[in-house]
Amino acid sequence: MEDKKFSLKIKEYLTLFKNSIKSFFEGFIKGDIITKISYFVMGFGSIARKQYIKGFLFLLIQIFYIVYMMKNGLYYLSMLPTLGVNTQGEVWDEAAQIFRISKGDNSMLLLLFGVSVILLSVVVFVLYIIQTKIAVENQKRIEENKTISKFKDDIRDLFDKNFHATILFFPIVLTILFTVIPLIFMILMAFTNFDKNHQPPGNLFTWVGVNNFKNVFGKNPLWSSTFLRLLVWTIIWAIFATFLNYILGILMAIIIEKKGIKFKKFWRTAFVLTIAVPQFVSLMLMSKLLHDQGTLNILLQQFKIIDKFIPFLSDPFIAKVTVIVVNIWVGIPYTILITSGILMNIPEDLYEASKLDGANSFQQFIYITLPYMLHVTTPYLITQFVGNINNFNVIFLLSGGGPLSLNLYQAGETDLLVTWLYKLTVNEQNYALASTIGIIIFVIVSTFSLIVYNKSSAVQSEDEFS
Amino acid sequence: MKKSTILNAITYLFLSITSFIWVLPIVWLIMQSLRGEPGAFTSYVIPKIWTFDNYIKLFTETKLFNFPRWFLNTLFVAVFTCIISTIIVLLTSYAFSRLRFKMRKPLMNVILVLGMFPGFMSMVAIYHILKAFGLTQSLISLILVYSGGAAMGYYIAKGFFDTIPRSIDEAAIIDGATKNQVFWKITLPMSKPIIVYTILTSFIAPWVDFIFVSVIMKDNYQNYTVALGLYQMITRENITAYFTQFCAGAVVIAIPITILFIIMQKYYVTGVTAGGAKG
Amino acid sequence: MKKIVSLLLATMMLLSLVACSQTATTPSENPSTSDTVTLRVWGSQDDQEMLQVMIDEFIAANPDTGWLITLGVVSEADAKTKYLEDPEAAADIFAFANDQITDLVKAGGLYKITRNADDIKSRNSEGSIEGSSVDGQLYGYPMTADNGYFLYYDSSVYSKEDVKSLDTMLEVANAAGKKVFMDVSNGWYIASFFLGNGGTFSVDADGNQVVDFNNEKGLQAAEAIKAFTADPAFLTGDDSIFTAGIGDTIAAGVSGTWNAKAIEETLGENYAATKLPEYTTTDGLVQMGSFVGYKVLGVNALTEFPEQAMDLADFLTNEENQKIRFEERQLLPSNKNAASESAVSKNVAIAALQEQNPYGTSQKDVLGTYWGPAEAFGTTMEAKDYSKDLQTLLDDMVAQIQAPASN
Repeated sequence: MEDKKFSLKIKEYLTLFKNSIKSFFEGFIKGDIITKISYFVMGFGSIARKQYIKGFLFLLIQIFYIVYMMKNGLYYLSMLPTLGVNTQGEVWDEAAQIFRISKGDNSMLLLLFGVSVILLSVVVFVLYIIQTKIAVENQKRIEENKTISKFKDDIRDLFDKNFHATILFFPIVLTILFTVIPLIFMILMAFTNFDKNHQPPGNLFTWVGVNNFKNVFGKNPLWSSTFLRLLVWTIIWAIFATFLNYILGILMAIIIEKKGIKFKKFWRTAFVLTIAVPQFVSLMLMSKLLHDQGTLNILLQQFKIIDKFIPFLSDPFIAKVTVIVVNIWVGIPYTILITSGILMNIPEDLYEASKLDGANSFQQFIYITLPYMLHVTTPYLITQFVGNINNFNVIFLLSGGGPLSLNLYQAGETDLLVTWLYKLTVNEQNYALASTIGIIIFVIVSTFSLIVYNKSSAVQSEDEFS
Repeated sequence: MKKSTILNAITYLFLSITSFIWVLPIVWLIMQSLRGEPGAFTSYVIPKIWTFDNYIKLFTETKLFNFPRWFLNTLFVAVFTCIISTIIVLLTSYAFSRLRFKMRKPLMNVILVLGMFPGFMSMVAIYHILKAFGLTQSLISLILVYSGGAAMGYYIAKGFFDTIPRSIDEAAIIDGATKNQVFWKITLPMSKPIIVYTILTSFIAPWVDFIFVSVIMKDNYQNYTVALGLYQMITRENITAYFTQFCAGAVVIAIPITILFIIMQKYYVTGVTAGGAKG
Repeated sequence: MKKIVSLLLATMMLLSLVACSQTATTPSENPSTSDTVTLRVWGSQDDQEMLQVMIDEFIAANPDTGWLITLGVVSEADAKTKYLEDPEAAADIFAFANDQITDLVKAGGLYKITRNADDIKSRNSEGSIEGSSVDGQLYGYPMTADNGYFLYYDSSVYSKEDVKSLDTMLEVANAAGKKVFMDVSNGWYIASFFLGNGGTFSVDADGNQVVDFNNEKGLQAAEAIKAFTADPAFLTGDDSIFTAGIGDTIAAGVSGTWNAKAIEETLGENYAATKLPEYTTTDGLVQMGSFVGYKVLGVNALTEFPEQAMDLADFLTNEENQKIRFEERQLLPSNKNAASESAVSKNVAIAALQEQNPYGTSQKDVLGTYWGPAEAFGTTMEAKDYSKDLQTLLDDMVAQIQAPASN
């Protein structure tokens, strides 16, 4: 199953696609008059066969959709190719002694709502296909003298056979609204010239094709060298931040959960306290603590441990170490939280058996605990890794990306790609460019995690415990 | 016997030192919040004047910084976000872990990938979507935003559900339970640690985020959350006068989260497989 | 197959989304259908009460119109960001720091101020008018001239003569075992060296930043920065380091009026402030320059009531109200008459700011690309990293600052 070739899969989908198109037209050709009408009036195949609630819901959606498209939808669609044509204008108003401004189009909103309309149309189209299938199916059942499902039955199925549809409904709707639409919007933005010279409300922006990508790959040497250096650092950071936190966190959890250790609740609470304080506070405090003239340096100097301050955050190399170490402080409590529950699930007999074989604690950790944890928490690790690649907060609040360097374009030594991207949007308002880099990071990260996730034992053997 | 005593002693020592390191910045924060001298920074560590004034001012001088109001706003948002996102995460991960349906794998992959786009890039788009619903500047919109992305965090809980033996579900289904009942009566009670984790992380989000709030609330000062409110205290103009109050505010934020965790702790104790069908 | 019901519901939601969006985005074609003039004003949260009083007065003075004026909290520093996030939801009148004016005008966000313009121009200082204009066209109502920096010093360490020259200051500080504070790794402060020696900012026709900090004069300034940061008495850090150390380890430092209260409390009778000192170059002494920032009221280009909004903005920034701003918030007025009041010059910090302002450069031509590279240069100097020579560093810095937008 693992080695199912990619091309084979594609072929499979293609045949599936071909078949559904075929059955769509066949259904129409072979359909009786009710089925045929339902190809034009949504829900008719249900209403005419006494599935009133379902049928009218479909009909309602069709009516809504048509009315909406006539009113606004078509306007937004028609604006997508240009992203607006009317620029903000002004006329001298002698009486009021002002240049009265007339409103222009807002390219950003046109793009956003254009995307929404397309997504809506896709959903309605899917519904349309589904209802034709229902009509065909109903016709078939009548011809075979079988009963047609009632609304009550559909509802019952939603809590049993189709339980997944019920419970995934809200998550998916929310994800579409708050993630998918913004995501498509951002992706499209990378193909526009939405920069400081094309800001709404006074200006329009428009499509520029793959221009931004050309710029990122090679136009400016400083640019691409900065991109490369930050990419390398981002990956180094993500690896350290993820795996150090993971291993140390598990060790910590094991120690706390060890048999014979008392006050488990107390120890856990001590660590979780750091989660309770908002990150922007604790990280700001940390940056004050670690400042060249900060508390830690003062203390160390008072106790004569050092005689000159340690540049925790102002030396390029030390700063990198500092942010990783501070991130351990930030991250371990989370690892403890997530792993102690899972640790308790490791079958006790595994440890006992290994003890009989003479394994020491270290061997137990390497050969039992770690593999088990990895098995269960690969997804967590992936989230953490990706989260760290996009770890805006820790870097931005702790070091602000600093110390800044002229060897990097508008960036500092500890800047990650995301914080750099943020700086570019803030300093230059170059949203198009930011989206372009965003997409590049996104492609790298998502390819990586899809591969790891689907190869990981957690997914490969998710039914193992069945 | 003796060896284990020494080992335990070492363990306690180690735990004491590490937890000390972890708590140290918090102790410092608390000290700052009790500092009587003004200013954002002192060149000494221990405050010279100890006082509760910063806390008292935080709750009484509400003209500039309406902390009590923001605190209640945040509590409201946090409680609902917590409930909604916990439900969403658990349902999503249960569906992916336990139910088998067409499109399961593709859907899992799509949702996994969706979570990888840097969040702040989509803020302005989200703002305009909320505006289209007429929801901006309201606390409800905050709840929606914080719980809207919850589904994308399914895989941690899914990994956990995967470890619960399926045979238990199957036994129940043979006994005539629907999948709905299996979820509520069997899976959930066995998933306490992951529920605690989910509840805790989703409860925390509204207390610590200051970026989304500022985009959504804009000029509606009354509907700020504590994080954004506190952030106003450390602007260039305010930091000298308000830094100690800012620290006090941070301590106050930490209280509900800590309490929640201490309450949740008791659900943390027992493992899953111990009582499962495997044994 | 039967997630139909869910899908149906989902579609309803999506439909209502796009349907609602309609009502939200259509501009009301007919602004003056009702008699009430609805205006919203953004100001910083410290100003709210004061603004409310001013607005009440305005309404009382114009009883013929029905007014509905509301206040919103957005600080001057955040105004541009908040405005551009959603211009339609932004206030009709908003206060902003004038370094945002170029971007705001370029984005088409501001009304041209043509109504009563001559009066506005005559009553405010030249610098503030210039700082509120783009290409000679006025785009805002100058409100304060407070956003600048100058030198605070401990008069028990320094005499009035000492603080005239940076060299003397460092000498005295070294002798007393004290420090001179300046946040050199911050584009805002480090510019004072370059600006003092004739450095300029401008914006070219394509909207890109142009600076000349890498010319001969710039190099002289850089040499001075290098010497300053290498001095044992030099201390950098943020405001909190300065306010905590002044009077103790720090003898003098560069900062602005927002720290006046804290520093006055710490220094007591040794509290003193003046313009920035002179530094030495190969060509002799050079007076340090500075940035001068103004706070300005702008009128949203999308407002429904431009005339009324302008009248209100005009009123909020008149001499009377600028005086009130000074009395309540100690903000240096941009209004000429209000600024020359004796109370203004009695305030030590404000007097020092006024003293420094003639050597100041308006911040409005500084674009976003400046700050990062300038900070990087300052950081390199503070770290005493001399692996590249100054000229190369300056060239790198200028190249980054001037990097064109890629489209």
